[in-house]
Amino acid sequence: MSTQTSEDESGTQLHDLRIGADVGGTFTDLIISIGGASLHVAKVPSVPEDPGVGVMNALAAAANDLGVSTGKLLSACTLFVHGSTVATNTVLERKGATVGLLTTMGFRDTLEVRRGIRDNPWDHRAPYAPVLVPRYLRLPLAGRLDKSGNEIEPPDSQSLHQAMAEFKAHGVDSIAVSLFNSYADSAHEAFYASALSRVGDDDPTARAWVSLSHDVAPLLGEYERTATTVLNAYIAPRTVGYLTSLDNQLRELGLTQPMLLIQNNGGCVSASQVAHKPATLLLSGPAAGVGALEIARGAVASGNLLSLEIGGTSADVMLMEAGRVPVSDQLSVGGYDTALPSVDIHTIGAGGGTIAKVDEAGLLLVGPEGAGARPGPAAYGLGGTEPTVTDALLILGRLKPGPYAGGSVVLDEHKARDAIETRVARPLNLSVEEAAVGIVRLLEQNLLQAVEQMTLERGLDPRRFTLVPAGGAGPMHGAAIGRQLGCPALYVPRLSGAFCALGMLNTDVRHDLMRTFFHPLPEAFAQGLEAVFAELAHQAETLLGADGFGAGSRRVEYELDLRYIGQQWSIRVQTSPGDSEDTIRMRFEQVHESRYRHIQPDGIIEVTAAYVIGYGIIDKLRLARHPENLAPPRPVATRKLYMDAEHGWVEADIYDGDGLGEGTALSGPAIIEERTTTICIAPGDTLNVDRLGNYQVTLGRKSTS
Amino acid sequence: MTTTANPASGQLNSLDPITLALFQNRLDYIAKQMGWVMTRTARSPIFNQSHDFSCFLADGNGRLVSQADGIPIHTGGGGFAVRAVLAAFGDDISPGDVFILSDPYEAGGNHLPDWVIARPVFVDGERVAFACNRAHQSDIGGGAAGTYNSSATDIFQEGIRLPAMRLIERDQLRDDLWQLLLLNSRTPHYLDGDLRAMIGSTRMGAEMIAERVGSLGLEAGAAYMDGIMDHADVRFRQAVSALPDGTYHGEDGFDDDCFEPMDIPIKVSITVKGDRMTVDWTGSGPQIKGFKNSSLANTFSAVYTALSSFFDADMPRNEGTFRCVDIIAPKGTIVNSNPPAPVTMCTVFPSHQMIQACWRALAQMDSERACAGWGPNAYPTSAGTDEHGRTYVVYHWGGNSGAGAVNGRDGFNQIGPMITFGGLVLPNAEMQEQLFPVRVIRQEFRLDGGGAGQYRGGTGVEYEVEHFDAAHYSFRAEGVREERGYGVNGGANGKRATVGIADTREQDATPSDYGPTPTYGVHAYPPGRLKVVSSGGGGWGNPYDRDARLVARDVQDGLVSVDDARDLYGVELTPKLAVDETQTATRRTRMSQAAHKSN
Repeated sequence: MSTQTSEDESGTQLHDLRIGADVGGTFTDLIISIGGASLHVAKVPSVPEDPGVGVMNALAAAANDLGVSTGKLLSACTLFVHGSTVATNTVLERKGATVGLLTTMGFRDTLEVRRGIRDNPWDHRAPYAPVLVPRYLRLPLAGRLDKSGNEIEPPDSQSLHQAMAEFKAHGVDSIAVSLFNSYADSAHEAFYASALSRVGDDDPTARAWVSLSHDVAPLLGEYERTATTVLNAYIAPRTVGYLTSLDNQLRELGLTQPMLLIQNNGGCVSASQVAHKPATLLLSGPAAGVGALEIARGAVASGNLLSLEIGGTSADVMLMEAGRVPVSDQLSVGGYDTALPSVDIHTIGAGGGTIAKVDEAGLLLVGPEGAGARPGPAAYGLGGTEPTVTDALLILGRLKPGPYAGGSVVLDEHKARDAIETRVARPLNLSVEEAAVGIVRLLEQNLLQAVEQMTLERGLDPRRFTLVPAGGAGPMHGAAIGRQLGCPALYVPRLSGAFCALGMLNTDVRHDLMRTFFHPLPEAFAQGLEAVFAELAHQAETLLGADGFGAGSRRVEYELDLRYIGQQWSIRVQTSPGDSEDTIRMRFEQVHESRYRHIQPDGIIEVTAAYVIGYGIIDKLRLARHPENLAPPRPVATRKLYMDAEHGWVEADIYDGDGLGEGTALSGPAIIEERTTTICIAPGDTLNVDRLGNYQVTLGRKSTS
Repeated sequence: MTTTANPASGQLNSLDPITLALFQNRLDYIAKQMGWVMTRTARSPIFNQSHDFSCFLADGNGRLVSQADGIPIHTGGGGFAVRAVLAAFGDDISPGDVFILSDPYEAGGNHLPDWVIARPVFVDGERVAFACNRAHQSDIGGGAAGTYNSSATDIFQEGIRLPAMRLIERDQLRDDLWQLLLLNSRTPHYLDGDLRAMIGSTRMGAEMIAERVGSLGLEAGAAYMDGIMDHADVRFRQAVSALPDGTYHGEDGFDDDCFEPMDIPIKVSITVKGDRMTVDWTGSGPQIKGFKNSSLANTFSAVYTALSSFFDADMPRNEGTFRCVDIIAPKGTIVNSNPPAPVTMCTVFPSHQMIQACWRALAQMDSERACAGWGPNAYPTSAGTDEHGRTYVVYHWGGNSGAGAVNGRDGFNQIGPMITFGGLVLPNAEMQEQLFPVRVIRQEFRLDGGGAGQYRGGTGVEYEVEHFDAAHYSFRAEGVREERGYGVNGGANGKRATVGIADTREQDATPSDYGPTPTYGVHAYPPGRLKVVSSGGGGWGNPYDRDARLVARDVQDGLVSVDDARDLYGVELTPKLAVDETQTATRRTRMSQAAHKSN
């Protein structure tokens, strides 16, 4: 994609203008960069009934700030990236299509059995999330393939016609086709897809969306493949309808570039190419954290980053090792499983609104339940009576009473105190302050464990990572958690509250292609591994070419899923077409050793899948320098606050972030009040403002006592 | 056999509640992380697909403090195992040692296939904890491949018996012992990888515990482990206190002793008095010839599982939880057999029956919490030799049964065994075809299999699988003669199971070609088709109270027939399967009055 320059009537240079629009559940964040020189943020309430309205409102607000028309802004735009919860919300609110599922005879119930997976077996009284396709709309097709894809019984279009009659009677508007063993050969699904396309044009059911399992998720395992295909079919009409209409609206207003969308895999895709696979948008939004980490990576030489984005009810952890963010084939949304390449984001129920309680036998518990935006924490004064983390932070002085969250609420310390007193302090026979300390420490241990799990499960040492606390609440806990993890430093983006929107301006287009390929490693080459790679690479190049990426602006990477024979979980290993068997084995053993602390020296390694990833390179966002500091930083106030278990209560200087320019150096204890967040550092920590205006915090050592 | 109470009143109050909360939270996290490592690295499908293992932590004296990971029926057995290590080795336990055991009679095991790896954790030279992993091995020798020898008449036919042994001595693996273990398995390639995974998980757990106890200090570490158990004690006593005092009886049972048909009762009396409970198995049948006897550790686990599952899911589950519970299990009975009676089936049967007997007694104390019976499983395993000469064992998990209903939810139509509450994940049929010489033909819900009720029991499934080669089948079928997925509060029982194998070499099988098939024993069959119709779960509440629209939906879905909808639920449907409101109201009124009159 090229950059271009335009000039408006008043002469403002709109060079390399990029727009990122992140539609969240509560707010729609819009961020604009112009030649990297200036970043403009607009925040407006989301409009859940029609999320596009929120985008338009945010655009209008931003254009107004810049003194141009929306049309001018859009026509000057060289990159428009959108992250949206529309796919996720369609699932969570169960507003999707009426789906009909076509399966192989004998496997109508795969979707509903769900392999019997229960998140918490002890909670046997809880029902499953309702099945997305009722049994009477899960209908069998003729035909059967064996495990190698050979035909045992041919398909028969008569079985399709019977099913279609049923679908028509029940108003099915989206069809999922998932046939047994179709990962091994797509012929039968292709046969029925072609038969579907020939059903009469006057039949509205025939114009239904069609999702094919070998296309959506060509992997072994009929449950995961079917569940993914059904979810795709379920969200397709609403999601694609929304995206198409927004894309058209933006183009009519002057946007000349195709709108790009953030996918589960952390990369972008154009609206037209995502239309057949909208399930890749289920993480659209949080996955843009990859682009944001790319920016942070420019300031952290190791490229080893752990982001901890904390919001009102949940916290997301993401890991970047040596500049790479791992992607896996597992993603569960609202109790529905999918198997699509997705950035590994570990989410836990821990945020400002997380509720603290004491059980009947006197044990303090924090989360995972949250108070939501309404009534929210007790301190909001909106009727909440249960004490939350925000209430505890107010008691501990990390937050101050008065206007909060951009003035949308006012924090009332008395209400916070009452709630903690009644529900936690008195039952535990503690002072309110002690109880608040307990709440925050337990929350921070849960957050710490969420981050630790990310590294532990990859055999990585958190002490080699820089923690990137983000979101409105992250930087308040970052120093305490980073120190306990042993991280040497924090990197706090000045725009923490718009972390993902910022990432959108810096995200490459990405296409993931995979093929199930089951062969022991020594035989893989003879069985045509290189041909599989070549074919997938060709598909990737074609997709990128269609998006306008020339040979110079695309990159293709190759990966293999490998495991010892008998293991069920594979390890993803990078490779390139010329690699020898020995090289591949060595890489696998390195990862296995570091992750699980053992290898099997003569173990037989098998390939289970081949992956090709095609990137369309977007010019990296080149951010301009932040204004230098002119005067020594001056605290605007001081406040007594509880720091952590080691430092206890301290008197801290309070700074206004707007007054801190490049080169500012501060020592803890201190609080920096930013527009979208609050940063808290302890005695022994030092904070420096870098050339882009972001905060680099060197953490003091954890005392050994 | 009685546990004694050890109320620690007052001590809980002297601890810092914040430190206690942090410590408990941390120990549970450690157990879960151990489980994660195990899942990812284990070789046999039993672990990596189905999680038939548990990671747990005990204090330095062998008392279970956390079992956040693992399948329910392993709950409570952990303490037995670690105490067996302490009894065998006393003070001769050093840093870097790792112990292994399995024997249910000599070493606190639950049954022979579950091997326990126990690693002592030391801080400043003091033993502060044990990090442990109990896991069901793929094969341990014995009379049948795959650990389930349903022909066994004594424990020697069930595989190698492991007393408490030192597997690793001060960080040095005892290679001779390792070779002995591998040599006694038909699947040494799995066993080798699986043992390494188990040991790896305990190493990680031990490091994490040592770090946390080290930072707390030895004395405080021990005090807070006590505190975790004391808290659980208080929580559970509160739950018991809320039940009405009295003695309540529950019963389930077997239809055979694995060899001949006979009624074998499994009876329990639960007495609640204030905040104490006695669970007494007196009246249960004598130990039997076949391998459905229970070890003591397993019987304790079954009681703990029944009690925990009856109360809220967030009830703590450690050794403190059950301090107020006395368990009486007379020796020589099916719930506490004498050696050398075979016991391998016990984690499934009679655990399923013991849990249900307890549930039926508990239902009389709190009918809202009553749990309907789950269909017991009836499918066999099949074993053969693959083209490389290796033994394979197929667990036909695709033939699992339906679950019982509870207040507010229908029974799951198919789910893993009740003793795991779905903690055991069913494999994909496509994966079964990749791993074994089989073709899965069908795995679909039964019609009219689930017990009728306001909440309907799970239907069970029809499962059919073609075996390309001859194979040995190990049968262990329950719920074939009697309906065992009982209904509660007016709900009906789920339907019985059938199992059959037909020779399909020459031509397709007709229904009459299947069976009669033995319910227990190991038998060889030529290539052919296995067909399992699995049991349904019981219903909860009166079927007339079921929302008529849900009945209509069940009919539309092919789960309930038009006849059952009318006869059992009192719901009349139109030809288009919508509810005929008027006719339904009339029929339901008439049926209720008839029921009322007959009472």
